[in-house]
Amino acid sequence: MKGWIFAFLGGTLITLQGVANTRISEAIGTWQAATITQMTGFITALVILLFVRGGNLKGLKQVKPLYLTGGALAAVIIYSNVTAIRLTGVTLAISILLIAQLSLTFLIDGKGWFGVVRKRMRLPQFIGLAMMIAGVLILRF
Amino acid sequence: MVLGLFFAVLAGSLVSLQNIFNSKVNEHAGSWQTTTLVLGMGFLASLIAGLFFEGSQLFRLQNMQSWFWFSGMIGVGVVACLVQGIRLLGPTYAISIVLTSQLGFALFADSLGLFGLDKVPFSFQQLMGVVIIVGGILVFKLGGSTVFKRSANPLPEQKWERSS
Repeated sequence: MKGWIFAFLGGTLITLQGVANTRISEAIGTWQAATITQMTGFITALVILLFVRGGNLKGLKQVKPLYLTGGALAAVIIYSNVTAIRLTGVTLAISILLIAQLSLTFLIDGKGWFGVVRKRMRLPQFIGLAMMIAGVLILRF
Repeated sequence: MVLGLFFAVLAGSLVSLQNIFNSKVNEHAGSWQTTTLVLGMGFLASLIAGLFFEGSQLFRLQNMQSWFWFSGMIGVGVVACLVQGIRLLGPTYAISIVLTSQLGFALFADSLGLFGLDKVPFSFQQLMGVVIIVGGILVFKLGGSTVFKRSANPLPEQKWERSS
């Protein structure tokens, strides 16, 4: 039960973040919103890290530099997310975002790109994606 | 409209990539180290992009409200919740719930016009669309076809693992 609450809250917060970013963008600009929210998030995470002191920094040296910079994608993600929400509304924007997200993950998992454990995708994944697309068509038309 | 769809697809694709990259980092580092690094990189990239597109305008924050300074903490809350959710339920179930509540809250936000966004009136059609999309998410995630390698010693704290 506790796990359900955390997962439910986590999803809610992800969308809330998009909506809050959109509101902040309208007030001070999109890049300003992205910079400020990432900066304050970074500081908060850093403070927590100093308290929990988990792990060591040596581990990071074993990670390919490309993967270390993955966080930088957030700049484009936030900009795109905010712009999509402004133009299409939250529900449609998040629906399309999730379809793109699951589709690309599906493709990467299937091909084993970036050294991920290759997974065979079967019928349920195709049916799931088709249902998601059908749902979007219903939302919109 | 088309432009909006384009940006939504771009965002979703990059979230997928980022999740994979972050999970690679998380294989060698703890959740909070990973999160700190990810947000730090996001901050640097946003700052650089902002300076590039806006120049010194980036620092003119006329309509700033005090709560804006705290909204970045939402992202930290996301990490905390996902880490706990995945720890308690395992990635597949936890992420299914996460994706569902993401979409459910989106419908809620549109219906209320949360934070003064343009209201998208709630309708049966909207609800139907969301229910079918959620059904699709559940079939996709729980369809049980992904050859899910249950290794003897799963990675600890698989926060980013399979989060998309």
